[in-house]
Amino acid sequence: MKTIALLAALLFVLAAPARALDLTKLEAVPIQEGGRKKPFLVFAEESLLGMTGKARYKKNDEKIPALNVVTSLWLSPIGWENEPLLLIGNKKFKEAIGVDPAKKLFSYRELAANAALRASLENVSAIRAKNPKTQLDTLEREASNIGMRLALFEGIASGNLVTLLPTGAAAWTPLVKNDPALAKLREGFSKTDQALFDEGVTLLLSEQSREEARFQADPGKISLELTYQKLHPARWAWILYLIAGIALLAIPGRAGYALGWIFAGAGFLMQFAGIILRVLISGRAPVTNMYESVVWVAFGTILFALIFETIYRSRYFLLGAVPVAVASLILADTQPVILDRSIHPLVPVLMDNFWLTTHVLTITLSYAAFALALGVGHIILGKSLFGSKASPALHNYLYRTLQIGVLLLAIGTILGAVWANYSWGRFWDWDPKETWALIALLGYLFLLHGRIAGKWGGFGMAVGAILAFQSVIMAWYGVNFILGVGLHSYGFGSGGLPGAITFVSIEILFVLLCVWRHYAKAKRA
Amino acid sequence: MGFLTAVERKRLVEERKARSAVWRVIHWLGSLQLALILISTIAAACAIATIAESEFSTKIAQVYIYKAPWFIVWLIVLCINLLAVTITRWPWAKAHAGFIITHYGIITLLIGAMIGIQTGFEGNVTLHKDKPPVRKLTINRSIIQVESPNDTALYVMPFDASTARPSEKRPCVFEVPKTDLEIIADGFSENLIKEEKLVPAEGRQPGVSLLFTSARMGQNLEVPLVMENSAPQEKDFFGLARIVMQKDLPPPKAPGGAETQMVFGKFAPVVQGEKSTGVRVALSADGRKVTITPPDGASATYLREEIMKKPVPTMGASVVVEDYWPDFEMRNGKPATKSDQPLNPAAIVRVQTESAEPADSKPTLFLAPAGQGIRYQLQRQGATYASGEAKVGESFSTGWADWSVELKAFYPEANIVSTMIPGPPLPRGEQGVPGFRARLVSPEIPNSEKRWIASGDITSITDGKNVVRIGYGLELRPVPFTVRLVNFEVPRYEGTDKPSNFIATVEFKEDGTGLTKTGTARMNHPASFPGTLFANFTGINYKFSQAEWNPRDLGETTLQVLYDPGWLLKWIGSLAICVGITIMFYGKPKTKNA
Repeated sequence: MKTIALLAALLFVLAAPARALDLTKLEAVPIQEGGRKKPFLVFAEESLLGMTGKARYKKNDEKIPALNVVTSLWLSPIGWENEPLLLIGNKKFKEAIGVDPAKKLFSYRELAANAALRASLENVSAIRAKNPKTQLDTLEREASNIGMRLALFEGIASGNLVTLLPTGAAAWTPLVKNDPALAKLREGFSKTDQALFDEGVTLLLSEQSREEARFQADPGKISLELTYQKLHPARWAWILYLIAGIALLAIPGRAGYALGWIFAGAGFLMQFAGIILRVLISGRAPVTNMYESVVWVAFGTILFALIFETIYRSRYFLLGAVPVAVASLILADTQPVILDRSIHPLVPVLMDNFWLTTHVLTITLSYAAFALALGVGHIILGKSLFGSKASPALHNYLYRTLQIGVLLLAIGTILGAVWANYSWGRFWDWDPKETWALIALLGYLFLLHGRIAGKWGGFGMAVGAILAFQSVIMAWYGVNFILGVGLHSYGFGSGGLPGAITFVSIEILFVLLCVWRHYAKAKRA
Repeated sequence: MGFLTAVERKRLVEERKARSAVWRVIHWLGSLQLALILISTIAAACAIATIAESEFSTKIAQVYIYKAPWFIVWLIVLCINLLAVTITRWPWAKAHAGFIITHYGIITLLIGAMIGIQTGFEGNVTLHKDKPPVRKLTINRSIIQVESPNDTALYVMPFDASTARPSEKRPCVFEVPKTDLEIIADGFSENLIKEEKLVPAEGRQPGVSLLFTSARMGQNLEVPLVMENSAPQEKDFFGLARIVMQKDLPPPKAPGGAETQMVFGKFAPVVQGEKSTGVRVALSADGRKVTITPPDGASATYLREEIMKKPVPTMGASVVVEDYWPDFEMRNGKPATKSDQPLNPAAIVRVQTESAEPADSKPTLFLAPAGQGIRYQLQRQGATYASGEAKVGESFSTGWADWSVELKAFYPEANIVSTMIPGPPLPRGEQGVPGFRARLVSPEIPNSEKRWIASGDITSITDGKNVVRIGYGLELRPVPFTVRLVNFEVPRYEGTDKPSNFIATVEFKEDGTGLTKTGTARMNHPASFPGTLFANFTGINYKFSQAEWNPRDLGETTLQVLYDPGWLLKWIGSLAICVGITIMFYGKPKTKNA
């Protein structure tokens, strides 16, 4: 028994020598993957996330960074086939292929040997072969995702996906088996020989530089992306915003207000830097997928709050904006599977910075303004719930915020129609995304017109700001993640539905509670 | 005027409402109550429509909401409301500018949209590089075309069976113009299939009916085949195999040849293989290019780098460049390279014949009439694996899974009669050929034979006395010019198959004037014809934007075509809305309440 334990321990040491080795030199090595060139660190983090759905791999209560996992899988793949590295999220699918539904991660060996999984993978590829545009149902989509995870694992373990060498054509190739740099990396890695490993990296870089410059990666962009990848600006921003919010609430008077300004400003600058970096790396406006738009809306909410604070110095704008920004940035930071942080090539129709900047930025900024109105609306309702009456100034703030949103949403929607006229050949065709933008706009117009008609006052506007925001949620998230039809399919995704439903339900319940209290109070008075 | 205080204005409004019924109506039509009702109902209808679209189909959403008459009426009421509300503000003050511009902007936009719907159209056209110019566009509108027996003119009526869904309870009736005949549609199927039957017919050519059975799949399939003009007739068998009927069987074939060629840039090739394939492969002296010449075809030259280790389809053969050495030498009995310089370029090439062409790789059943039966031969990958004879009632095995085939009927003179019948329900997401069931009735003959009419078909229906030809399908609209695809390119993202753009170069040629113009339709950059300033301004202009492509055939592309004389109003309206809202919100604050 003892010998077996000893042997196992020994094997474990052999299988995971990565921990002792410093892989920093490898981080910045450019690799071509997914239609662009990126630092190896980005490749490693995206790959681990793609396989496991987690940023780090947990083994025996120890968190191994993505770089170490992927490097080890690439340079010494033996043993990894038994590690639970591949995510299956869907419970029904797990039951269908007869694996433990309580488990989330499975080893390559387990899955590769599963006949039911293989059958469903073949089924999906048969459907795709027949008609590439067929909409897959949930189980088929899950099968397709798992197929991609398996392929990712195989691609890294075999080295075929690790395309490190420029070729004198657009596509790079993987290192051949007897490549001297690869040999050094392998040996250095397996013997935990730092000098040999670093030598391998240096040799690899010199092999890369053999080709003409135009086939190589741009070193400036690579180092920029490496900085961005390590910086996590969204994380810093939400921490700073959170501090700002606490300062505003906890410290009364000018000191708290000043602190709130300072921290919100710092978070804003951090976000600004992150967005600039992302724009430089991807070369396009930062609103091409759900992750980017969530970050951008948080940014816009704070931006409008800061502008209004400059004008009115009221602290309510910051108080309204901070929870929205913190919540969205925490989502962006912690839900990488739903909100994918990686930079992918765009579908051809989006490859137009003019329209991306004008249409999409405007639309998402309108969401930001409405999100701010949502925050301010909560403050008004919260005040009424706890007995104090909101001042007319606060009602005016809400109105001002809604105005910005309506203006931007109208302009953004019309710009979208103009772009559609230009690109798809028609101005308006009741595509779900178009329609929901219109519904949201009509919702807010209803709110504004009802106020003019004298149907409701400040309290009603606050209620409306919260209810109408649910239509923004639908236009923004729902069309892409729930309806899943229409021409805006490039932004489609899945996941997060229970969260969204919970959010919407809580909001509606909150509004109902406030309205009930409001009328109960009015009756008593 | 224009400097009324709020109180004065209120009094004025009350006065004119009391004075005149017209003003009362205008104030009612322009009321905020009506506006609120319109806004909320339109929003709710749109929300329901998007859900219907997701649950059912785009068409349902369009027919019941977006393009339904009631919705259009509602939008017209909205226009009236918007117009009336601006009149109620009369006399206008400066503070009303933003308000009026915005509301008139929406009206202009909606009028532009109406004009677009009425006079413009949307369609698409599929172009192919190797095909002649096209002069008809497919419009996204289903129609039936009826040829009247009286004047043989063609009458077009809009009719979409998949939304109208005619049934026996709710039939759709069309009058045949200039007659007292009526066509009654009383059935609908999403999946019409063609049923073919072999019948004896004098003066025709030999025909057979084959019954394929598979116990494992529990399926039967009858396939009739008739020779025409002594030319071979071919049928596809589930895409798995081919059935060919011809006068004589092809000569039996032995399995195809394979050979390995060692080709040099500067020396003659060394060829090894059991059987010569006749394919010649040459390497350029610098090792950069490979030229392949099939035995009876034109040679083609490729960049070697681009075809390495990939099969290059060549007439009747597949050629793969397996390996390449720039400076070839034999080292320890193995090929190797002395240096990186192309001093003695050499490549090893594998040539495989008769299994490369996709058509050839499918197994084929050849039939030839022989007396009162047939002779048959089965080939796979260019090699014969079975042959024999069969008489009516006899069966033989095909060797395709467990399918066996029985010769059900044989007529030395035969014909195939085909009719459309509803097929089994389709699995979700798949599209069949839709169609409806129709019959022709006249006052004297109220009951006649029913017939299924499939989309894309032209058939005749009869009540026993009169015959009416009827066609059903998407409308084809001729345009006053032709369009031809000159070139189509799909650039990709580096190192992937993902397209980064679609670039179609098209050539327009106007009828009459013969004016030609070349345009490029790229993503986000449509091509237009005539595309002149005047045409662009008025919208009397055809805009071609990239819509779809065929990954399997890069010579083909589908362009979306838009002809929209209402566009200028749409754009002016749009601009007015944006400007109006801005003025309203951020213009000089109103001089409220004196």
